[in-house]
Amino acid sequence: MKQGYRSIYRGLHKYKASEERLAYLLLAPVVILVGGLILFPVIGTFVSSLYKNITFLPPVKFIGLGNYKKLFTDVHFWHSTYITILFAIVAVFCETALGMFYAVVINEKFRLRGLMRAIVLIPWAIPTIISARTWQLIYNYNYGLLNYLFVHFHLSHHAINWLGTSTSAFSSIVVADVWKTAPFMAILFLAGLQAIPESLYEAARVDGASLSQQFWRITLPLLRPVIVIALIFRTIDSLRIFDLIYVLTGGGPGGSTSSISIYGFKAYILGDFGYGSTVSVFTFFVILIFTIFYLKAGRFQQGLKK
Amino acid sequence: MSDKRKKQLLVWIGSIAIALICLIPFIWMIVISFSKHPDFLASNKIPYIFTLKNYVEVITTHDLHVMDYFKNSLVIATIVTIIAVAIASFAGYAVSRIKFRGKTSIILGVLAVSMFPQISIVGYLFKIMTKIHWINTYQALIFPYIAWVMPISLWILISYFMQLPTDLDEAAMVDGANRIQTLLRVIIPISAPGIFSTSLLVFISAFNEFMFALMLTSDFHARTIPVGIALFQGLHGEIPWGQIMASSAIASVPLVILTLVFQRYIVQGLTAGALKG
Repeated sequence: MKQGYRSIYRGLHKYKASEERLAYLLLAPVVILVGGLILFPVIGTFVSSLYKNITFLPPVKFIGLGNYKKLFTDVHFWHSTYITILFAIVAVFCETALGMFYAVVINEKFRLRGLMRAIVLIPWAIPTIISARTWQLIYNYNYGLLNYLFVHFHLSHHAINWLGTSTSAFSSIVVADVWKTAPFMAILFLAGLQAIPESLYEAARVDGASLSQQFWRITLPLLRPVIVIALIFRTIDSLRIFDLIYVLTGGGPGGSTSSISIYGFKAYILGDFGYGSTVSVFTFFVILIFTIFYLKAGRFQQGLKK
Repeated sequence: MSDKRKKQLLVWIGSIAIALICLIPFIWMIVISFSKHPDFLASNKIPYIFTLKNYVEVITTHDLHVMDYFKNSLVIATIVTIIAVAIASFAGYAVSRIKFRGKTSIILGVLAVSMFPQISIVGYLFKIMTKIHWINTYQALIFPYIAWVMPISLWILISYFMQLPTDLDEAAMVDGANRIQTLLRVIIPISAPGIFSTSLLVFISAFNEFMFALMLTSDFHARTIPVGIALFQGLHGEIPWGQIMASSAIASVPLVILTLVFQRYIVQGLTAGALKG
């Protein structure tokens, strides 16, 4: 009898071990790919940032923190960092506001709701590079749609060089980015809105609350968790901004709209691999700091553990 | 005016505003792609003349390579989608059904990767791909893309598998199926909607990716359509806006149609990816 129990126990143990082995086997491809093609290159980038490695100036040489010293006194680099953070703040704020507007409208029950939900998705569906090219044409100085409308409706006496001056180029990038990303915000907010029970609004109406009071006192507070998550996603994403700026201004005029990703990429393209790596490591930490800050602020961690 | 009427009016005005904002750039792309003179707004002397010339040139002029870029993008994105969704399903199944040591740290590790900036990978990736002579090949993009879409795929699939009752697995296993059979014959067929929305999102992000493709390809043998359009140069110097917009329309109209037809799945995928932490 005892023998029987033992063999069942042993069998169970064996089963557990084989289950565990199966789990590792099923996870192996993911771990190998992510480890080999993302974690390993990130570590490689860290190591490369400690070397002088310029294609046109061999040999490759270990210089410790030499690249970092250069980084801290590099005015153009700090300007790129400033632009990246400013961009993230302004763009994410505008996207949240516009996305909220989209979501509130398409959440209402009206005849064209289905159509409107489809229309809102269109900017999201168009690849960033293609929307960037389209906006570049819209911003064109001589024959762009925007200047045509501005002059035609007397908003401005003369054509504006949208991508030609640093302030207007920055705003142009923000507008194109907000256009492309507000739909994502709207989709998340809409999911949140649908979870708010209609009875709350009915009760508010009975108590005589106006439409704007209903929005500020019911909708916004109840959407808070969704807003926090959307902000995390979009902030991290906009700190990495690359594609849009690459096409619209290439970082210009005169480096004034360069983001850190653009700046790092240019260092790579110019053949300065060590310095490019240093900029990349810095970008990595900027995003890490923002993420930790948000995780703490949004108590997102509890959500993750669930 | 009653609150109800006021709300109705606001919704209509809002809808018109949203439609204008969302559609004008897209319509403008189409308008220019069919225009003989892309600069027709410059003065009253230049008329708008409808033409198919831009499309014909882009499709038939071999030296522009637009069709090559388009084909490369389709092939790469399709392969990435198939492989990525397959291995993410296996991993997602293991995570949602089997107890094992190190589960939380592996999953948090993979998800943390999704916040990494591409720039902190692309330089070293270039070094690796140069060393193994993969620069300007499909596989130079396929493998990094699979790794890159892993966090989002896993995130959606795990949240989907978690919703399925474990009774299903148990019933199958009582009937003598092993884990792999259970996964392939029970879980995956039931999860078809979740797998489909993951596939759509993976395909779209692989199709749209820019930085890796810019760095790791050098010509039409592997260059993808976003890079082709970003670096588009006419055969004669000036910016050929008609051709650029025609190529853009060719590349984005299929995506727009895909998104509109499968809107429900895309919205499900995006909200599962973001909200079900």
